[in-house]
Amino acid sequence: MVPQDYGFFIDPQRCIGCRSCVGACAECGTHRGRSMIHLDEMDRFNSTQTVPTVCMHCEDPICAQVCPSDAIKRSEDGVVHAAQKPRCIGCQNCELSCPFGIPIVFSGLEQMLKCDLCYDRTSVGHKPMCATVCPSQALLFVRKDEVANLRKNKPLRDFLIGAVHVKTKNALMVPDPETPLHLDAALLIDGGY
Amino acid sequence: MSLSDRLDLEPRPLIRAALTTLVVCGAVALGSRWGRWLDPALLGYLLATLFACFGVAYRYFTWIERPATRMYFQHTVGTLLSPKAFKALPRMAVLALDQMFLQRFIEKRSLRRWGAHALIAWGCMLGFAVTIPLVFGWIRFTSEGLNSARYQAWLFGFPAGSFPLDSFMAFCSFHVLDLAAFMVIAGCVLSLIRRKQDEGDTATQRFDLDLLPLVLLIAVSMTGLMLTASEKWLQGRNFATLSFLHELTVILMLLGLPFGKLFHVIQRPAQLGVTLYKAEGEAEGRLACKGCGTPFIRANQRRDLGALWKELDLDGAQHGGGVHHLDLCPRCKRRLVAKAQGERLQGAFDPFATIPVHAEPILDSTSMKS
Repeated sequence: MVPQDYGFFIDPQRCIGCRSCVGACAECGTHRGRSMIHLDEMDRFNSTQTVPTVCMHCEDPICAQVCPSDAIKRSEDGVVHAAQKPRCIGCQNCELSCPFGIPIVFSGLEQMLKCDLCYDRTSVGHKPMCATVCPSQALLFVRKDEVANLRKNKPLRDFLIGAVHVKTKNALMVPDPETPLHLDAALLIDGGY
Repeated sequence: MSLSDRLDLEPRPLIRAALTTLVVCGAVALGSRWGRWLDPALLGYLLATLFACFGVAYRYFTWIERPATRMYFQHTVGTLLSPKAFKALPRMAVLALDQMFLQRFIEKRSLRRWGAHALIAWGCMLGFAVTIPLVFGWIRFTSEGLNSARYQAWLFGFPAGSFPLDSFMAFCSFHVLDLAAFMVIAGCVLSLIRRKQDEGDTATQRFDLDLLPLVLLIAVSMTGLMLTASEKWLQGRNFATLSFLHELTVILMLLGLPFGKLFHVIQRPAQLGVTLYKAEGEAEGRLACKGCGTPFIRANQRRDLGALWKELDLDGAQHGGGVHHLDLCPRCKRRLVAKAQGERLQGAFDPFATIPVHAEPILDSTSMKS
């Protein structure tokens, strides 16, 4: 069981693109040898900005709702786990439906894998691999009451995709978390990235 | 309040499961020539099998009513009922051999996992292939008339050959279940060792879901082997007790079949339908991401997921400009979160704001200037 007084706080603006998280993630026992963290370049030609993305662990995960084999489960501590190996049939519904672009379906293995908050570590009192090694603390796993002392920004766990409201366990750091973060594709299409 | 309400059962799957069980009962009655060839010693197994059949069918029909499952189920049934079936059936047969029998996708996950799983799966297939026809009264063995040195096989109540008791055929017939038991025990032990050693499995496994089925399979196999040992080397000592124990473990396993991990045996064939669906989608082509222009989603899956999201009340996931969230590739969705966060910050976060600006260039020891 992951301690409920701890939280995962993500701040892409702090990422320096060192890829430490990518290497460390592959050491996680639940998907050893395969890194489940995504480190994307926003616009390689014009910017050095990189974006680390881990699973946000939604309260009502869309990946689980669209899974035909009922293979994706959310445990009591709010962690959304990778698809159960005996059940996953590799259809990719989860990969294509996740609001945050997290799951990866490995064709051939017929298996979806994703960030599960390093359950082998967090369930026994250790921090996730990526947060342990992140030098700029773009990925931060600390006690929830501690984060106010460490950051000027505050944790946001509400996202809006059009009219669909997605609530998450993991948080993104913003100055005004009272308003849900609107994920509008116009930002990408018109925003020049 | 009706019984189905009190048990919180869905009426439609309930009716379908009852009909499925009736069909199986009919097959038992027909195959055993109206019960004449049923073995009274196996009646307990028969009742447990029929209960398992009802439970598995109920869970299966409930499962395929989930919107996401129905999407693939209807597609597969539609394919099999259309002229495409002539092309699809041979492909499905090859896929079934590769994915269901050889289970090569598990080999790609891990050789060790595949070895253990193959032993369990093949052992169980072999065991069920022998025991189900015996329990249903479809196959029966008797002495050949008054000649106790020969065995007579009966198939659906019709004679299907005889063989001497000391022949190779007799040895195989008597010990095929022992072979299955050895395979299952070996596979279960390998699985338990792997589960003990693998950090990931240790963290996520549950006793009732992951370990209990292995323990039950070992118990069934061990008690079965003990029956052989009792008959072969102990002059039948404690045979009745062992027989009761074996029956008990088998019944427990059968009763647990609809509820536990072993149900994946029924779910797994859905993979064949999904493989066909993917192939059909590839032939139709992939649609480009509306963020970056990279082709990523198969046209058929985009259509079906759109309908599925609508059914799940997620249809509001529309962006400006008529772009649906499903029209963005996973990478663009990730970039979108960072972009939205950047917009929200609007300069509220400047990583260099707190660093004092030096009027003079900073010289360090590696600098060529002095």
